Amino acid sequence: MKHWSIFGGAMLSLVYLAGCGGGSGDGSGSEGSEEGGEGEADEVEVIGEDSEDATELTFWTFNEQHIGIYEDAVERWNEEYEDRPIKLQAEVYPIEQMNNNLLLSLQSGSGAPDMADIEISYFANFLEGDVQLESMNEHVEPVLDDMVEERFDIYSKDDNYYGMPYHVGATVMYYNTDIMEEAGVDIDEIVTWDDYVEAGEQVVENTDSMMTTVEVDEHFSFWPLISQRGSDYFNDEGDLTLADDTNVDTLQFLSDMVNEDEVAEVTPGGFHHSEEYYGYMNDGGAASLMMPTWYMGRFIDYMPDLEGKMEIRPLPVWEEGGNRTAGMGGTGTVVTNQTEEPELAKEFLAYAKLSEEGNIALWQELGFDPPMYTVWDDEAMDEPNPYYDYFDDDIFDTLLDLNGEIEALNITPDLPDVQSEIHTNVLNSAVRQQNQDPEEALKQAEEAVRSGQTEE
Amino acid sequence: MERSETMANKKTFSLKGILHFLNSRKVAPYVFVSPFIVSFLVLYLYPMIQAIVMSFQQVLPGQTTFIGTHNYQRILNPTFFQALGNTATYVFFTVIILVMIPIVLSVFLNSKSLYFKNFFRASLFIPALTSVIVAGIIFRMMFGESENSFVNELLGLVGMEPVQWRYGAGTGMFLMVLLASWRWIGVNILYFLAGLQNVSEELYEAADIDGASAWQKFLFVTMPALKPVIIFVATITIINGFRMFEESFVFWENSSPGNIGLTIVGYIYREGIQQNDMGFGAAIGVVLMLIIFVVSMLQLKFFGAFKKED
Amino acid sequence: MGKNNKKWVSILLTALFAVITVIALTPVVSLIVASMRPSSELMRQGLSFFFDPATLDLGNYLAVFSEEGASYWQWYMNSLIVSGGLIVLSLFFSSMVGYALAMYNFKGSRVIFLLVLFVLMVPFEILMLPLYQMMIGLSLVDTYFAVMLPLIVAPVAVFFFRQYCLGLPKELMESARIDGCTEYGIFFKIMAPLMGPSFAAMAILQGLTSWNNFLWPLLVLRSNEMFTLPVGLATLLTPYGNNYELLFSGSVLTIVPIVILFLFFQRFFISGLTVGGVKG
Repeated sequence: MKHWSIFGGAMLSLVYLAGCGGGSGDGSGSEGSEEGGEGEADEVEVIGEDSEDATELTFWTFNEQHIGIYEDAVERWNEEYEDRPIKLQAEVYPIEQMNNNLLLSLQSGSGAPDMADIEISYFANFLEGDVQLESMNEHVEPVLDDMVEERFDIYSKDDNYYGMPYHVGATVMYYNTDIMEEAGVDIDEIVTWDDYVEAGEQVVENTDSMMTTVEVDEHFSFWPLISQRGSDYFNDEGDLTLADDTNVDTLQFLSDMVNEDEVAEVTPGGFHHSEEYYGYMNDGGAASLMMPTWYMGRFIDYMPDLEGKMEIRPLPVWEEGGNRTAGMGGTGTVVTNQTEEPELAKEFLAYAKLSEEGNIALWQELGFDPPMYTVWDDEAMDEPNPYYDYFDDDIFDTLLDLNGEIEALNITPDLPDVQSEIHTNVLNSAVRQQNQDPEEALKQAEEAVRSGQTEE
Repeated sequence: MERSETMANKKTFSLKGILHFLNSRKVAPYVFVSPFIVSFLVLYLYPMIQAIVMSFQQVLPGQTTFIGTHNYQRILNPTFFQALGNTATYVFFTVIILVMIPIVLSVFLNSKSLYFKNFFRASLFIPALTSVIVAGIIFRMMFGESENSFVNELLGLVGMEPVQWRYGAGTGMFLMVLLASWRWIGVNILYFLAGLQNVSEELYEAADIDGASAWQKFLFVTMPALKPVIIFVATITIINGFRMFEESFVFWENSSPGNIGLTIVGYIYREGIQQNDMGFGAAIGVVLMLIIFVVSMLQLKFFGAFKKED
Repeated sequence: MGKNNKKWVSILLTALFAVITVIALTPVVSLIVASMRPSSELMRQGLSFFFDPATLDLGNYLAVFSEEGASYWQWYMNSLIVSGGLIVLSLFFSSMVGYALAMYNFKGSRVIFLLVLFVLMVPFEILMLPLYQMMIGLSLVDTYFAVMLPLIVAPVAVFFFRQYCLGLPKELMESARIDGCTEYGIFFKIMAPLMGPSFAAMAILQGLTSWNNFLWPLLVLRSNEMFTLPVGLATLLTPYGNNYELLFSGSVLTIVPIVILFLFFQRFFISGLTVGGVKG
């Protein structure tokens, strides 16, 4: 505030000087900076406000749905620990903006929230330099055996676990049974990807729909498939292997589905989260969709007309005995080092994400397949909820069947660069424009990532 | 120099003395320009030096290290050249469109034979009042990829296939240039209209006596008189073109298929902010500054701006 | 016959401009029409040329004026405060600088003018990262002041005011001095009123710039309740929320104040530009 008083003094002198004939004039004043009012924005949600002297924790997220899980946890926490109540202030921002702001405020040492959601594609950015996040090992290690461990590894560096996952993100196939019946396909007969393409030909022939859609602006068609085949962008040592044979072959497969077999088309709007796609799918545009289980919520919110028509099945396999799923996407909730209550924040986060109740809530509130697989056959998981109403009720039988078929993803500081190449160049030129064959496209992307690599 | 004098004098004089001193005709102009000097030092010079220093560093949380010219070596990659290419194409088209069309329109708007001049003038300015974000929202809707979107419907009426506007390099560039042109034509018309007020009637009368055609009058009377305005508008358009970011952001949010919408500033934003590589971002910025400087100089030389007066 | 001919030219020309105007206004009209239609439909299908006028309603506007629109109006307030503050501050400071550069002969005036021209050519985006770090260092992040700072002494405005002042009579200054005016009194009491049209022109240009400013506020503003309109509207475009009804009606309402500003000052605007700005 000091500079404002100086400014004010200067203004006073100016007022004096601005006079004519020695008289005091009325200088044209100017406005200083105003403090922001207490805006009640609907993107800000305060949870647990009734508890009087509760400790306030701020939480940033990019997905409004995610708040649901903490609503539930705060309630239970405040009942259980009456002496240490919590008030959670959750703020929702667009994903890009939230990540930029979080990065910059962590870098500058001020302005960060106590807790935040970081999406997997961005996570590596937060693991560079001195990590500005709190290690959660003391809470993670005791329960790690009950968890799908791979989902914790992706948010770790040097044996420190920083991010608490929301889900396993088991990728599955969603079939629209109406269209499948019309086409005369029995979805339980689809075992291999060859079967899938064959079924697709039947769908295209007998109905007005396509078999499926391929994302070109996002990675949820490509990444799950290579992960399913045991490949990745990087190998276990963290070296870039983007253009290896499996990946080239997989990209060729996607391109062929669209351009050769013509059973798939490029996703309207470019990715499966676009409004164009929701509209298209709701109108029966495609007979099936490969996305992780967490996508169930999108069906309920944006494709109401498909209720009761969608069935979930494991992915077709590449070869007999191969994996029938892949762990995809994901968001790690972190505690930043700028929190004034690191212990409380960590304990609360563990309470919300690492406990049995918390994991059951992940399913009941969000429709996520919780990382703690020991609760998958818990009775509480069978309680009716909107997800069972919309889809069939044997979701977890399917998932339990798939446990152990999930490969870890290799996360390195170059992941954001790779993602950026995949989203902008690779899929677009190999699948949409076809001005490069898959090998060229992947090689070129690999080249681009290499040339941009920072020395460590 | 005078400023330090001010400081020294402050101690010895009374308040009244200071005010008297400040009021002297020698000192007053420095007081008047002081806001600019302060802002130049704090908001331009210091950040510029800072940007140059940063461009030789790797800036990570808690670790800042000098890495020599490594950032500059990294700039010479295909993505940068693509961004440069996109930006240059954009500058080229916007300069052509935003100089030529407004000149012609403003000459007509200034002529006596047009009815409802004020109405047209105001209408053409209205697009300038929308923000790029709002304009982008409109254009995205009008140029949607579905066959039911406005422009594709129009194309359908003349029997053409729907176009996926946001996914081709050519159509993507078209969208950006169109958006910028739509927003800026009205503003530039006003600049040229203002310039036309300074063309003396007598010159036209003299031309009439010589039997000049309308075209000849435009070429030999109007154009030379408008030259300073043309230089001004061209310079502004070039600089705005090189710093373009938002026109691309509203269509693709900085991640366009095949990088068709990536501009240099978009690249700075992506690397410096999104990828958290501030040193590299700063290095791109320094290169951009050099490019703009060279292009502006060439442009001013081309128009012969240095020959005249000062 | 010659007269008849001329009339035809006029009619043709007017018709041509009518067509151009229709094209120029189509996007604006589309937005207004769009704001009265179901919004998620628009995001899915794009704006259709063929629609049933009976389906138009004001539901989206009701949404803005309801509980749902609370943060929208907060952004609106922020934009008004930032733009209003900036118009006042930048007109005040820039006119002073421009005036001094035009009216006084002092050591260094030429250098300063050249600096103004130089700064005019430096794109703000280059300085963005260091400036951003500076805002953090001064703990100015997420304040109105940080949003305004880079535009307070706008080189364009300084340049413009200088050009305008060159056309003002210097004799007035002499006679005011004899009347006992201070140097500052001359500016505020005598000369500034003469610069009216240039103030109007700059109020519009600076108001426009600030009202529509996007990249810098996007960087320095953190919390939802501090967002300006363009930043806030951009947040409505996220695929994770479902706020499209606010997006279109909100977009229409953002244009309102700037149209008012324009209509209010339009009279002076062109004359301001004519005498000043673009002489060379």
